[in-house]
Amino acid sequence: MTADMGYISLIGAMLIAAGAFFCSALAAKDGLTGALLWARRLIYVYVVMIVLSCWSLLSALINSDFQNAYVASYTEKALPTGYKIAAFWAGQEGSLMLWTLLLAGMSAVAVYSYSKRETIEQAVMIRILAMVCGFFAALMLFAANPFEQLPVRAVDGRGLNPLLQDPYMIIHPPLLFVGYAAYTIPWAMLLAALIAGRKDNQWIGATRKWLMVSWLFLTIGILLGAKWAYIELGWGGYWAWDPVENASLLPWLTGTALLHSIMIQQQRGMFKTWNAVLISVTFLLCIFGTYLTRSGVVQSVHAFGGSLVATFFLVFLGLCVVISMAVIIWRHKLLKSEKSLEGMFTKEGAFLAVNVLLVIITLTTLVGTIFPLISSVVLPEPVTVGPNFYNKIVLPLGLALLAVMAVGPLLTYGKDAGRSLAKGLLIPAITAAIVLVIAPALGLTDPWALACAAIATVSILSVGVGLANAVKQRLKIEEETAVTATLHVIDGNHRRYGGQFVHIGMVLFMIGVAGSSLFGVEQNFRLSPGESASISGYTITFAGLHQNRQANYTAVEAQVNLYPSNGGTPVELRPQRRFYDKSEQPSAQVALNSTWLRDTYLTLGGWNEDGSLVAIQAIINPLVAWIWIGGIVMSIGAVFCLMPRLMSQTVPGPMSSPESTSQNKRKPASVHLALAGEGLCEVSSTINTNISNKETEPIK
Amino acid sequence: MTHVRIKMLIVGLVLVASVSYLAVAGVKSGWVYYMHVDDFVLDDSYQHRRVRLYGLVDEDKVEVQPAMLTASFDLRGTSNSVPVHFEGVVPDTFKPGCEVMVEGKLDEVGVFQADTLMTKCASKYQSEEHEKRIEAIQ
Repeated sequence: MTADMGYISLIGAMLIAAGAFFCSALAAKDGLTGALLWARRLIYVYVVMIVLSCWSLLSALINSDFQNAYVASYTEKALPTGYKIAAFWAGQEGSLMLWTLLLAGMSAVAVYSYSKRETIEQAVMIRILAMVCGFFAALMLFAANPFEQLPVRAVDGRGLNPLLQDPYMIIHPPLLFVGYAAYTIPWAMLLAALIAGRKDNQWIGATRKWLMVSWLFLTIGILLGAKWAYIELGWGGYWAWDPVENASLLPWLTGTALLHSIMIQQQRGMFKTWNAVLISVTFLLCIFGTYLTRSGVVQSVHAFGGSLVATFFLVFLGLCVVISMAVIIWRHKLLKSEKSLEGMFTKEGAFLAVNVLLVIITLTTLVGTIFPLISSVVLPEPVTVGPNFYNKIVLPLGLALLAVMAVGPLLTYGKDAGRSLAKGLLIPAITAAIVLVIAPALGLTDPWALACAAIATVSILSVGVGLANAVKQRLKIEEETAVTATLHVIDGNHRRYGGQFVHIGMVLFMIGVAGSSLFGVEQNFRLSPGESASISGYTITFAGLHQNRQANYTAVEAQVNLYPSNGGTPVELRPQRRFYDKSEQPSAQVALNSTWLRDTYLTLGGWNEDGSLVAIQAIINPLVAWIWIGGIVMSIGAVFCLMPRLMSQTVPGPMSSPESTSQNKRKPASVHLALAGEGLCEVSSTINTNISNKETEPIK
Repeated sequence: MTHVRIKMLIVGLVLVASVSYLAVAGVKSGWVYYMHVDDFVLDDSYQHRRVRLYGLVDEDKVEVQPAMLTASFDLRGTSNSVPVHFEGVVPDTFKPGCEVMVEGKLDEVGVFQADTLMTKCASKYQSEEHEKRIEAIQ
């Protein structure tokens, strides 16, 4: 019954999307507000249909309706309810369904929030969204139907893949899909603004929230995926440059570049074509990545099938590429830059550098991912490039990015920083020099590690210097304590300080990556009970092999004691191999001891029949914890960027950041007033920039 | 104005040059031929290089010694096969008859010494697996 309802509402959803498409086409052509109203309503109805459809799949999963092929294939009666729900996105059909749901929800939010805009712009945006929504509904109906019924009801399901029975796996895919789905909205807004012929830069400010949300979710999603791979797959790493991983990294990279370059368009009216291309590319990469991973054109350890789904995505990708290119070329006059770059050491210059570096990393990743395809055209056999290829290019470029990040907080718009930059960098540079002297004395001699340490020091300190300068400026005008002033300064510019918090997170993340990739140690041991071995500062002793029975699996575990050589407290670790009842193969459960400085990572490789000998793989990964800490800091920074101002501003105010103060000095009095008003009425950064954009226009 | 342009051009050129250098170095160090076991046996020009092979694990001669962390098996294609010796943690998904990918080099006696063994994992999105599961249910 519910299965029928799910399928029928999917059909309904597809037809409704088609209806919304035609209504909005009508509205765009003749400017009919009635048609626009209907187009908007139909998008809301689409959401209702998709929700109904999802609800029926979910209830089939929870109630173990084994008539449904998807339910029978991915769950079993004994599965805990939490995992029954998570099985919603355990398979292809369900995960596409989740993507559709998120897309529908976000489309509705976008349609609702921009309902005050000009008819044509709204109509075009709805038409684009209706097209994407319609595509997903059709995809579900014709290529990945989650409501396929079995001829005979199964007695019990096949169970969920043990690798997926992990809390990280429950949240990792939905987060990625939120990111993918949210990147659709800026694309629709871009096309709408261009087709409607908007000349101003306000709309790009409105895309920022969506880009920020996507970025936040993709970041958390990718990192949770890395964490899952790290603790679940048992090879001791968190990133393998596998095509499937790369597919999620690509839109993240271009999305990161976008967050920087849209600010230049907002503030200076530059980089318009670049942004238009980048917004399109980011959306297209989400689709491309999905195509790549579903089609099997690139060999990956994640084996994928489902050619029909891939064909759907390929055709859709082609269509979207053509639409984006046609609109950008047709409207190229709207995308002319209003200013040109005035100096290298300006904020624009730094943002440009960040963009170039990120795009190079994107291209590297893309080329590496599809290298087997490219090389098979030229060579008799396809060639794959291993992790070395990526690491060789991405590590130096990553360091260059860190370096740009280090000077970023000290730069201003439009004016070459020159002397003030040198002054601001003085303290960070001296500290970095001290680090460079002390580190080798402590035994750190690797040139990459030293470069990373020095640049990381400068990056973190220059954020401090930038903030201190802003606080000093404020204290000249306000009578406040230093703490209040600091809080006001930070709260006065969420975008700036949120962004810098993200940068600090990024630095911590890079420290973790550098530490674990440069100094990781791996060794295999064969031990009898009572026997010990030593690895990089630890002695490990194998105490014995045990067996224990849990709800749906039996585990064989080795009891291993870990003694730090410097005499710290010993730790007991129990790496396991689990034999799930519903799975043909055992699965390894890694035992991990994680500290600020290093992770000790043990895998039980195997044992002989009487348990007198076990094989244990031990990996010492320095600084891995900082990857996750960096990720948390980045996410907090991104959330802070999105939050409205928290403290009430009693005094109409002094400028909150050095960049706006320096702008003030160079601007006529009328603008000064308008900018001062900014502090008072700022509700969100979008409104804020709208005001300053309008006011600064006459000066040009 | 033009001054900035010239500076940017120089920076751009340096960047392009260094990235291409890195790319070439990266490709060289990561360059691994990827081929099916049949093609590998037929073409001896690859037999002294490091390659990545894929094929099926022959159901017969599979010998896994978990406590010693070794696995020996025949990697077979449609017409040919190569004996493989692997050292390391054998993946959970490894079993006779499954599709695997090994990376390594042929030794003097004609045994492929692999240091990497990957199975095509039953991924969450795999629809072939899905169909197999449905067949099994029926």
